[in-house]
Amino acid sequence: MEANQDELPPGDPAESLRMIAHERATTGRRLTPDPRLLLWPWGLAWLIGFGVYFLRFGPDEHVYVDMPQFLPLTLLLCLIAIAGIITGVVGARAGRQITGPTSRQGAMYGFTWSVAFSGMGVLLGRVSEVLPVPSANLLWAGSMVALTGALHMAGGAMWNDRVVYVLGVSISVVNVVGIIIGPGWHALIVAVFGGGGMLVAGLVSWLRMAR
Amino acid sequence: MTGALPELDPVIHAQARLRVVAALSALRTEDRIAFPRLQDILRMTAGNLSVHLRKLEDAGYVEVVKTHHGRTPATLVRLTGRGRVAFDDYTAALHALLNGGAEQKEQS
Repeated sequence: MEANQDELPPGDPAESLRMIAHERATTGRRLTPDPRLLLWPWGLAWLIGFGVYFLRFGPDEHVYVDMPQFLPLTLLLCLIAIAGIITGVVGARAGRQITGPTSRQGAMYGFTWSVAFSGMGVLLGRVSEVLPVPSANLLWAGSMVALTGALHMAGGAMWNDRVVYVLGVSISVVNVVGIIIGPGWHALIVAVFGGGGMLVAGLVSWLRMAR
Repeated sequence: MTGALPELDPVIHAQARLRVVAALSALRTEDRIAFPRLQDILRMTAGNLSVHLRKLEDAGYVEVVKTHHGRTPATLVRLTGRGRVAFDDYTAALHALLNGGAEQKEQS
């Protein structure tokens, strides 16, 4: 009986068009990874990571909360690694369901992040040894944020995704403003506006999708 | 534009296959979707979806390939270029029918 009904044509052209629109919208929505899973881990990593950074390395070398010097950067890098793993798993899951140019694009983009960050980490690890602590911290944080902003802009351009592109621009601008104001403030500004910006972008993308 | 109303492609003009083709049309041209995922999106039984995919495959509208992801076998589905053209024609015909129907009412 079910098969027979399947063979029936839709009631009228208008109904056919409604079915087409519904099916296309559903498919698009179901195949797009949840933007909250892609952006919120990063937003939280930045909010917490750079927040702790600020508490240890405040403006004018002020220490708001005493803790070992290595802790803030280690924590930040750990949180970023966790966020990277979460987005990697989400991306890989999406890639198993669709094969072809879209998943290749996603895999290449994900690989770009890890290569870029590894290359930068190797360089900064060597250079920062000879710098005073506040400058070394600013170099690490500023470079990481600059790279993240640029990669988001590239991703937004690649997928024609305005929310992600605007997020990349905002991160880049916030970064430059923070660097100009100086060490200490940079971490606070990046935590609040950069991390907060990612949480907002994840929410906006998700709300747009849900409609 | 006084020609006869366009005929609708009988392969697509059936509820189940229209849904399958519409869902596949949302993918990018060269992308393939895994069978279980398509089944999940369309909420059809595996047997039922297979039957309709075979009909679409016979018409050359859909390509079904069996492959492996690691050790697990996977069945991947995509709309062929021909299927995409047929779907576009079908959609265009629907719009023509809607507009044509409106014009006929105005004339009578």
